[in-house]
Amino acid sequence: MNKKLLSTVLATMLAVSMLAGCGKTAAPAEAPKAEAPKTEAAKTEAPKADDTKAGKLAYKGEISIMHFSTSEESQGNGGSDGFRTTLANWIKAHPDIKVNENVLANDKYKPQIATLAAANDLPDVFELQGMNTKAWAKQGLIMDMTDIIKKSPYADKYDQSKFYPFVADGKTYGLPVLTGGTCTVVVYDSKAWKEAGFEKFPEKWEDVLKAKDYFQSKKKDTIAFGNSGKWQMNSCFLSTVGDRFTGSDWFHSIVEKKGAKFTDKAFIDALKFTKDAFASGVFNKDFNAINNEEAREYYINGSAAAFIGGNWDVSYIQATLKGKPLYDTTKFAVVPQPAGATASTNTQNIGLGFAMSINNKLAGQADKLAAATDLCYELTGKPFAEYVGKKYALGGLTKADVDLSAFDQFTKDFYNYQYVDTKPVDIYDSFVSSAVWDVLNTDLQSMTNGKITPEEVAAKAQKAYESNY
Amino acid sequence: MANEYTRVAGKKSSSFTNNPILFIFFNGMLMIFSLSCIFPLIWMFYSSLKEKRVFNADIIGLPKDPTMSNYVNVLTNKDYHIFESVLNSFRTTIISLVLIVLFGFIVGYILARIEFPGNRLIYAIFLMGVLIPIHSLLVPIYVVFNSLDIANKWYTLIIPYVSFALPIAVFLVEGYVKSIPISMEEAAAIDGSSFTRTLFSIIGPMCKPILATVAIIQTFSCWNEFSFALVLIKDVGLQTVPLAMTQFTGQFTSDYPKIMAAMLITMMPIVIFYFIFSRQIIEGMVAGAVKG
Amino acid sequence: MLSAIRPKSRVIFGYLLIPIVFYVFAVFVPLMTAAFFSFFNWKGGPNKTFNGVENYLTLLKDSVFWQSFGHNIYLVVASIIGQIGLAFIFVLIINSKLVKFKGIHRTFGFFPSTIAAVSIGFIWTMIYDYKRGLLNWFLALIGNAEAAKVWLNDEKLVMLLVSIPLVWQWIGYYMVIILSAISSIDKEIFEVSELDGANAVQQALHIIIPLIKNTLLVCVTLCVAGNMKAFDHIWVMTKGGPGNESMVMALYGYNISFAQQNMGYGSAISVGIFIASLLVIAGTQFIVKLVSEKN
Repeated sequence: MNKKLLSTVLATMLAVSMLAGCGKTAAPAEAPKAEAPKTEAAKTEAPKADDTKAGKLAYKGEISIMHFSTSEESQGNGGSDGFRTTLANWIKAHPDIKVNENVLANDKYKPQIATLAAANDLPDVFELQGMNTKAWAKQGLIMDMTDIIKKSPYADKYDQSKFYPFVADGKTYGLPVLTGGTCTVVVYDSKAWKEAGFEKFPEKWEDVLKAKDYFQSKKKDTIAFGNSGKWQMNSCFLSTVGDRFTGSDWFHSIVEKKGAKFTDKAFIDALKFTKDAFASGVFNKDFNAINNEEAREYYINGSAAAFIGGNWDVSYIQATLKGKPLYDTTKFAVVPQPAGATASTNTQNIGLGFAMSINNKLAGQADKLAAATDLCYELTGKPFAEYVGKKYALGGLTKADVDLSAFDQFTKDFYNYQYVDTKPVDIYDSFVSSAVWDVLNTDLQSMTNGKITPEEVAAKAQKAYESNY
Repeated sequence: MANEYTRVAGKKSSSFTNNPILFIFFNGMLMIFSLSCIFPLIWMFYSSLKEKRVFNADIIGLPKDPTMSNYVNVLTNKDYHIFESVLNSFRTTIISLVLIVLFGFIVGYILARIEFPGNRLIYAIFLMGVLIPIHSLLVPIYVVFNSLDIANKWYTLIIPYVSFALPIAVFLVEGYVKSIPISMEEAAAIDGSSFTRTLFSIIGPMCKPILATVAIIQTFSCWNEFSFALVLIKDVGLQTVPLAMTQFTGQFTSDYPKIMAAMLITMMPIVIFYFIFSRQIIEGMVAGAVKG
Repeated sequence: MLSAIRPKSRVIFGYLLIPIVFYVFAVFVPLMTAAFFSFFNWKGGPNKTFNGVENYLTLLKDSVFWQSFGHNIYLVVASIIGQIGLAFIFVLIINSKLVKFKGIHRTFGFFPSTIAAVSIGFIWTMIYDYKRGLLNWFLALIGNAEAAKVWLNDEKLVMLLVSIPLVWQWIGYYMVIILSAISSIDKEIFEVSELDGANAVQQALHIIIPLIKNTLLVCVTLCVAGNMKAFDHIWVMTKGGPGNESMVMALYGYNISFAQQNMGYGSAISVGIFIASLLVIAGTQFIVKLVSEKN
């Protein structure tokens, strides 16, 4: 009886699901065939219909795009929200073009796009990570967009410094996308620090050490940090601290392979400082076992007096604290100056880590390329910049006026921290090669656990650099 | 639970009363284990009733003011494609299971009972299959599937799911068949029953417990499989549940309560299925054994 | 004897053909492709250059790979003892008359293996959490708060700590397999062994184990194979850290292939994992044979 019932149920489900499956795949599979003749026809007319700025594109057919602005991400992340909104508007404005979106969360996006790159099967348009630029350009996977960028309707508004991670051999391979946010900011509770005797956050690291004793007596962590993902210490600490010791020229020399080494004394000093800072008890004891998401909760619930993280953490902290007393006393500061660091002061690493890039295979398909280019312009151009500027007081590649008066003090403070009061420096892992950072990040964890010395870390990073870049 | 079995057990109720320490120890140990096994489900359930910020502030505590908002959000947001993904997972899992059980049974039986040159070679080939480290083979898998144009189709995932489950099915069936007496098959052969008939109408029913086991353990590995789905499926309309779940993770922030709500919703059919049929399946096993 | 049930070769061939073609295609073609790629210097993309056995020479000298291999062996040993050993004992206890709520144990015990490994890893990370985790909370409760630690950052303990969830999750899985194997044994044998109360352990060793030897061997094989390619739990819990203290081979290969985008060397690592697993399986089979012959 039961067996019969079970088998009937299974058989029915099987039949239904198979039918559903067939029906679903049939539709998209037929689509390109149907579109193909039209595309051919359109191609012959292409020279006449060269008025992309009017929003009229000759291309009719499919464009595939891959990105990581998930619907989840867009809640609370201005850049992500702006990206989705701009993309949706573009799709609406171009009903003749079928956009095949493949949206994956960032940590799934990276292996997936690497797989596609390896198989030479990248989508038409996608987000290129800065550190992949050189390798992928060399492989001929991505299109040289230098001229495309020059011809952009928004070209005069572009912040040229943002292109640096996407340049290889003098050619530019992408339009930097999303919002430029700081990767290293000290978020602190000005009230707690006042009680500790500091009118504002210390400018020198020695003073942080003094504050530590006070906060320890209050059973608080001085600064919360999370590095279980291994990338945080590089992106949100070393990248800024390193610049203080080495200066930007050193890193540019690394990027351009002009002779700088990870084993140079200045960089080793930065590593030594990092090791000492994390051994000093200033940070929460479990910094290597929790990630930044958990560390910022320490700040939010008051068990830490400050927190070091990136702009993404700030947007979460803002959304969470709104309406609470801590919201009004939260301020921002740069990482205090380490003793002995003389190359730069008042810096923070900021930039755009990803750029909209176009598959090199589109080179021969003028109409499709025009459509893809137009999409990239819009996603990084004025519509995007105005949206995020107005709604979030954030900036991207394209400069847009931000009317700060419409925002509260928290947002103003953070805007000023990011774009006005501090000096921008490069984000290490937007450059060079993932092979170097993967090795360095792992070793930073071992180093701060006391297992290996700064010299060993530098030597291994240098070795990875030499054999992979 | 199994009536027949407890009746057999009842006859010798004296044996545990004479060792109370052992009784307490065994029961206590198993109870702790079983509770620890069910704890994740309970924890996931009450955590899914929390808001993200409440959850992040306190991971273990019970929700002070439970909310259904995560469920509402998961079920109403069209971007998540929850229903489609459940349907896709159902289709993939069921077809895969049917093939796994069928293929596993046939191959396992033949390898256990019939001597032919190459028998052990085939067994060894299946043995090697369980050793394949799929996580570092994702690129070759993608390259192969893509070049044959069988990636990103509704049937795509069935191919690796069946193939990678086959070794386990074959081993279990082979081991099981070897432990049952051969006399039944001999009798059938003498009666003139064909190989096919013997296989499906005599051996098949005898292997019910092990086939049920294969089906149970593979159901969940098909349902939860992530890596193949990630590299082989691009079309949103074709993605399975684990892929749909990734929608809830952002680059720098994850909404765990919502992930849990979504997990519970998508696990629901299969968990209900398991709890309903596990009784019958396990009863089937025990009953089959009593017949011996 | 066997000839009575022996069908024509044609029939066997017909039955075996489809499953084997299916299997070889999905399992071996990618492995062969990886083996092919492993002889190239390939950083992803259409261009690759042949570099002979250089990737394998690198692999032989790669200390992280061998450290990971050691961790995999650790997991194998922990799991054979923890998963199969405990599962076997649990099944015997459940099958005995000593235990109540048999149905609950059978049903619940399997439950963790129905949950995706990623979720299990996450749940256990919460248990080990320094400030909010169950473990430190419990230590404080029993007045032993000084023993609290940043558990997953402890180099000496981290392998033990990541292996616990792994072992725990799959006990139920092996319980189900062993249960079904034991169910093929004549119940009389259990009753006889029960009568002897004190000798239950010996009965288990001398009667049950030999009778379900095949299945146990399968379990050991699965266990070895599963742990040689362990990935998800560790990826979620520690990403192989602190440093490389809980790195396993599959995770290392994945990092090389994807995080470092060194697909050629990553492929060589996959082949390395495969060969290492093959050797370990052969080793365990050999040990099992040796032990069972002695008995």
